[in-house]
Amino acid sequence: MSGTVSTPSTVARFADGLLTNELPLLSDDRRREVIDFIGRRVQVLPSLTRFGVLMIGRFVDVTGMIVGHATMRRFVTKLPIPLLAEYPRLVRSLGFAYVWETWPDTTVDGGTGVAP
Amino acid sequence: MTTHHECDVLIVGSGAGGATSAAILAEAGHDVLIVEEGPWVDQGSVSPFSLDQMDKQYRSGGVTVALGVPSIAYTEGRCAGGGTEVNSGLYWRPPEETLERWRSRYSIKDFATDDILAICEEVEHSLSVQPVPGEHTAASRILQRGADKLGWQNGEIPRWMTYPEGAGATQGRRQSMTRTYLPRSFDAGARILCDHRLDKIVRNGRRAVSAQLTHAGNPVTIAFRDVIVCGGAIQTPAILQRAGLRHRIGRTLAVHPTVKLSAKFDAAEHGAVNTPEDVSVFQVKEFAPNMSFGGSASHPGLVALALTDNWRDFGKAVTKWPELAIYYAAITSEGRGMVQAVPGMRDPIVTYRLTKRDRDLLGQGLARLATVMLEADAEEVYPAFKGAPIVRTRADIGDMASRFAASKASVMTVHLCSTAPMGDDEKRCATDSHGLVHGTDNVFVNDAALLPEAPGVNPQASVMAIAIRNARRYADQRAG
Repeated sequence: MSGTVSTPSTVARFADGLLTNELPLLSDDRRREVIDFIGRRVQVLPSLTRFGVLMIGRFVDVTGMIVGHATMRRFVTKLPIPLLAEYPRLVRSLGFAYVWETWPDTTVDGGTGVAP
Repeated sequence: MTTHHECDVLIVGSGAGGATSAAILAEAGHDVLIVEEGPWVDQGSVSPFSLDQMDKQYRSGGVTVALGVPSIAYTEGRCAGGGTEVNSGLYWRPPEETLERWRSRYSIKDFATDDILAICEEVEHSLSVQPVPGEHTAASRILQRGADKLGWQNGEIPRWMTYPEGAGATQGRRQSMTRTYLPRSFDAGARILCDHRLDKIVRNGRRAVSAQLTHAGNPVTIAFRDVIVCGGAIQTPAILQRAGLRHRIGRTLAVHPTVKLSAKFDAAEHGAVNTPEDVSVFQVKEFAPNMSFGGSASHPGLVALALTDNWRDFGKAVTKWPELAIYYAAITSEGRGMVQAVPGMRDPIVTYRLTKRDRDLLGQGLARLATVMLEADAEEVYPAFKGAPIVRTRADIGDMASRFAASKASVMTVHLCSTAPMGDDEKRCATDSHGLVHGTDNVFVNDAALLPEAPGVNPQASVMAIAIRNARRYADQRAG
């Protein structure tokens, strides 16, 4: 997946994979909107944090090209490696917060539910 | 093209410290110019505690972090009125024993407890500090009920709110700086420039002479007689460091670290407990000052956020968000942090180190908070740390406590202070007893950075009282 106007392509690719895996019923339109939001937040992160996120994002992306993006995503989301583990945590936190704030009736797998 | 401004007193920042300073000095006849990095956002134009509000009124969209193990997420207001526009509006006078400790430990002159508390009384009048006149929200009643059953000390914290609807009102109108001290300063002739980022204060020896700013990509310069930096506990030290001032600046960041949990209650029995645009006004103070418990904003997005550490096990609860509310356990920390401006970087590097005692206390706090929730009839409690179990019984709390490690928790804070502590003890303090930066003739600090330690309670009252005290002293000494 290529990056959108505001989302670096490495972050967009990782976010897309993570959201597809963890919220499989989230529609393509919504997923793109969430990725855009994640990208906007990454762009306004404080200098050092943004640099770190983009570097880790690039590392994860390049390694993913070798071992497979899904394998790499499972690796960084499951193993508690300092700093590296913060990357999926940030992406997931931003994405999930946006999903349920914007569409509060979303089901746990990302589907469109009935308003609670 | 460069725009030029001139003023007697340049005030950097418009939050609890900057707005009060501006009002006092403008009313004393000084030509005051306030510069604010963020925009002016009218109250009511954004939904409280929402992502939209974070976009418009928080620094970096609310995603800021003090690096460490664990890293601590924090938030800073970045708008006219600063943090007063976005915080919970709960008001606590500084505890008397805290004021006395600060006075003696940091050699703060003219710091009589009675004088500070008398200013607090003025602030309470100016901000209409009062309890909620009507019924409390379900989230508030939960905290009260749980603590009462345990026999733990708890109570309603008054807020700086007005209640136009009168006696039965449950929703107030916050009396933040854009509604109180900023209009007061404008009435006395003060001016404000919003969306102006301060890049650098230019010094000539002991005197600061001008400021360089950026507005919409264009350079702005301001010549002044004196400058008062009120950018908050993170930006103030960074601004001073970029001006070449480093003595005891940015080395003693103090915060109230918090850990959170979400609790689910039976809708049939308790109704909807989630009030997305409000927080609990009750706090549990049984273990104060070491730890206290309160309620957090519980927008559905924030509920999802609080569950993400264990999404596989907790995620299904998100669809029941109207039955969930988020609560926190806050501690007074013995750890300290650093704020470090780095040449070429726009933002400072912030770090924080929790001590072993802090990490243990966070675990104890979370366990006790879970106990309050169960006593309040929570069906399920979801602690916000990786690997946490769902807590349904007292026995589960033991399991939770054994699995807890601060390094696995989502630790955050909204109370930041002490990065330019005041006092005449130059070995400990960055400024004198009234905020004048040591080694300068005309650079002052007047915000949360001055508090020598985290006060153990919501700090806005402490910040405002000290800022008013210092501004009055300034006005007495320098005729407008």
